Amino acid sequence: MDRTPAVLAELRALLGDDGVLDSEAARLAYESDALTLERGAPDVVVLPRTTDEVAALARWAAARGVPLTPRGAGTGLAGGATPRHGGLLLVTSRMDRLLALDAERRCAWVQPGLVNARLSELAAPHGLMFAPDPSSQPVSTLGGNVAANAGGPHCLKHGVTANHVLGLVTVLGDGAVVTLGGEALDAPGADLASVVTGSEGTMGILCELCLRLVPAPESVHTMSLDFASVEDACRTVSAVIAAGIVPAAMELMDRQTMEVVEQWLHLGLPLDAAAVLIIEVDGPAVSLPPQVERIGTIARAHGARSVRAAAGPAARAALWRGRKSSNGAYGRTGRVFHLMDGTVPRSRLAEATAAIYRLADERGLHAGVLMHAGDGNLHPKVLFDHDDLVAERAALEVAQDILRVCLRLGGTISGEHGIGLEKISLMRETFAPADLEVMRRLRGAFDPAERMNPGKILPAAEGTDS
Amino acid sequence: MNAPPGPERYAIGGVAPRAVFRPATAAEAAEALRAAARDGRTVVPWGGGVGLAGATAPPRYDLALDLTALDGIVAYEPDDLTLTAACGTTLAALRAATAAHGQEVPLEAAHAGRATLGGILAANASGPRRLRLGAPRDRVLGARFALGDGTLARSGGRVVKNVAGYALHRLLCGSRGGLGVLLEATIKLEPAPARRLALVFGTDARALGDAARWAALLALEPAALTVVGDGLAHELPVASPTDSCTLVVGLEDDAARVDQQAAALVRMLGEPDARLEDEAAADLWQALADLETRGQPPGAAARLTFTGARPAAALAPLLDAPGPRPAWLLHAPAGRLHVFPAAATVPDLTERLSHAGLVLVEAAGTPVPPAPLLPPPAAVLELRARIRTALDPAGTLAFGPAWERDV
Repeated sequence: MDRTPAVLAELRALLGDDGVLDSEAARLAYESDALTLERGAPDVVVLPRTTDEVAALARWAAARGVPLTPRGAGTGLAGGATPRHGGLLLVTSRMDRLLALDAERRCAWVQPGLVNARLSELAAPHGLMFAPDPSSQPVSTLGGNVAANAGGPHCLKHGVTANHVLGLVTVLGDGAVVTLGGEALDAPGADLASVVTGSEGTMGILCELCLRLVPAPESVHTMSLDFASVEDACRTVSAVIAAGIVPAAMELMDRQTMEVVEQWLHLGLPLDAAAVLIIEVDGPAVSLPPQVERIGTIARAHGARSVRAAAGPAARAALWRGRKSSNGAYGRTGRVFHLMDGTVPRSRLAEATAAIYRLADERGLHAGVLMHAGDGNLHPKVLFDHDDLVAERAALEVAQDILRVCLRLGGTISGEHGIGLEKISLMRETFAPADLEVMRRLRGAFDPAERMNPGKILPAAEGTDS
Repeated sequence: MNAPPGPERYAIGGVAPRAVFRPATAAEAAEALRAAARDGRTVVPWGGGVGLAGATAPPRYDLALDLTALDGIVAYEPDDLTLTAACGTTLAALRAATAAHGQEVPLEAAHAGRATLGGILAANASGPRRLRLGAPRDRVLGARFALGDGTLARSGGRVVKNVAGYALHRLLCGSRGGLGVLLEATIKLEPAPARRLALVFGTDARALGDAARWAALLALEPAALTVVGDGLAHELPVASPTDSCTLVVGLEDDAARVDQQAAALVRMLGEPDARLEDEAAADLWQALADLETRGQPPGAAARLTFTGARPAAALAPLLDAPGPRPAWLLHAPAGRLHVFPAAATVPDLTERLSHAGLVLVEAAGTPVPPAPLLPPPAAVLELRARIRTALDPAGTLAFGPAWERDV
């Protein structure tokens, strides 16, 4: 689109002067999300405050055929908020209000720019919390979480974001404002909110979200278990599930990951272990000590060298700090990495992990693995140096091969980060042409002109240019 | 392929289809849809007929597509807590397969021996444990399905976390056969609880109007908290001998937690009239789910299902109204209220309950569905119409117009 004075004046008339950014600096600041390998600057950045303003922007963009890409905090790891085809980048950071909280019905209406962790803080006085907890939760927005159907360590017990969405006031590409779902657990009529969740901004702009809140657990126990092999740790995960225990979270860090975290945070992680598992159980106080004991027994039977319970809130916080800081810790090493998000059936984790090390090793590369083990969701990182173009290309190939292994083991290419731009090329290996064609038909119903976050999720149809 | 029963067995609202086809494979099902789309015929997919028994007849109904021959478990890995089955598999069969491994299918529906996986998903069926277990869309991880034009496709997968592609498997939950035909689905299972306990109490209108008592009961986080109202309680295997209404509290957890909850309940409500353990408790949950289809087939009472009910406030319009009360049943944790009024009182009752903040989500056994308090806005109707046209361009699925239009 042209950034003419007339265009900017029209946008400023809709949003006020401070709602429109068009400087070179601002456009470059928004040219990617947390996947910095893919870039594309927007023509104009717009910052609406209300649903009406979003609808006005959508109508404006529709009338001019301009692409519209929504963005929350930009923590996405798949390029979903990168405006590949220019146009307007709609940033929700000024739509950050809690609109209503109904403690009796355990739900809250929020604007999309409200930060994830903030909602749980606001719900805490009512004994409630918002369960999905992506590692980005101190900064990532609820609108982005819903658009991505975000996960997090505690999805094992509490479910992914889609399980916590009740209603969505959505602005469609033509500017129509539609309320999908509502406050009740089962909305009348067609359940469109469930499919808009996870559609990465390609079906509409989420403007008001009704989210489920759940009771904060009465009690929490966190334990760390270390193992002489990753395989033993993975088998422990399967055995815990098979024993009928669904912990709140089961997270695995391998030695490489522990080393980079330890160099930074000095938490006292067991660096001589091949893997550490963090297992957390939550629920009624009376239920937890027996669960902790059973998990310990199962883990020892599967080769755990030590089983330690976090002695209090501070120790628990330290364990989670180590886990949730691992991306940052890798970033601090000064090396670059490809981060993957594959999922396999829980019982195939050991196999998948062995394949990750082998594939990296074959190319002379280092890989570290972190996983939401309870959910079978792997986050391997393949490392390379900034200026080593050969290694960079090899790492990308290893990353793709790792995701192919996930597919072969009965899993998928993304558990929680999304497809965005990053994984489009693998969608044809994940789905059959007919599956993708049906998805295209559905997308077309929401956005016939394909202007809502264009170029994401779905590869171009066979026989057309991508 | 076994010869299916005659068309009259597949009547909906008294209207029988012109033909019945019972495919033996997914490919045959798709081929039948392709042929119907080509010839301009309309199709209703059938599972066990549990939900369809009370449905309103579609405007045109040429072919009943009986999917019950597509049954059987395709993949079940107990260590993964996931199960994939063909959509004609009955809930009872799924329960039997998982119980052997100490696991549970987190789906509920009336008539588990007949209700099929596909039918439960398509109907968005639930039961007394709706809040604890989630809705079908919360449990479905992926599905294979056919569109009205016979296109075979899938979405999602067999793993518990998956954000690759659009979640058509969630969209098809609750679509009542109007948007696509479910053929195979993968479900996220649950470990079976170490202990199930049902406590049954008598109760009355005064106690049911006590909001503080409801709050205290719900704060115990029971797996089920169902009140069976006037004129319906006697249909349960256990019912209070003296009171007009029966309160069933369902507890499912480890033994220590269940003991703790049960003790708190007895302090609050006194000794129960009955205690049912484990399998007997599970049978009672099923009996509560079965009550949903009471009165069917049409000719007896209608069923209106509302959601969003705050218990005390929701029951007031029922309990305070003059004259004979319709039968009713409330699953309190999910705020889901089923009412079985005489046909003539449907509009009045719908209005009164809607004004009390309840949302009508289903109407069965009514020749004409009740008018909603707030019809869907035009923009929502247009969006639904575009979705239906995109997925079923020839309008082959007979319940498509209802999916598009209904509240």
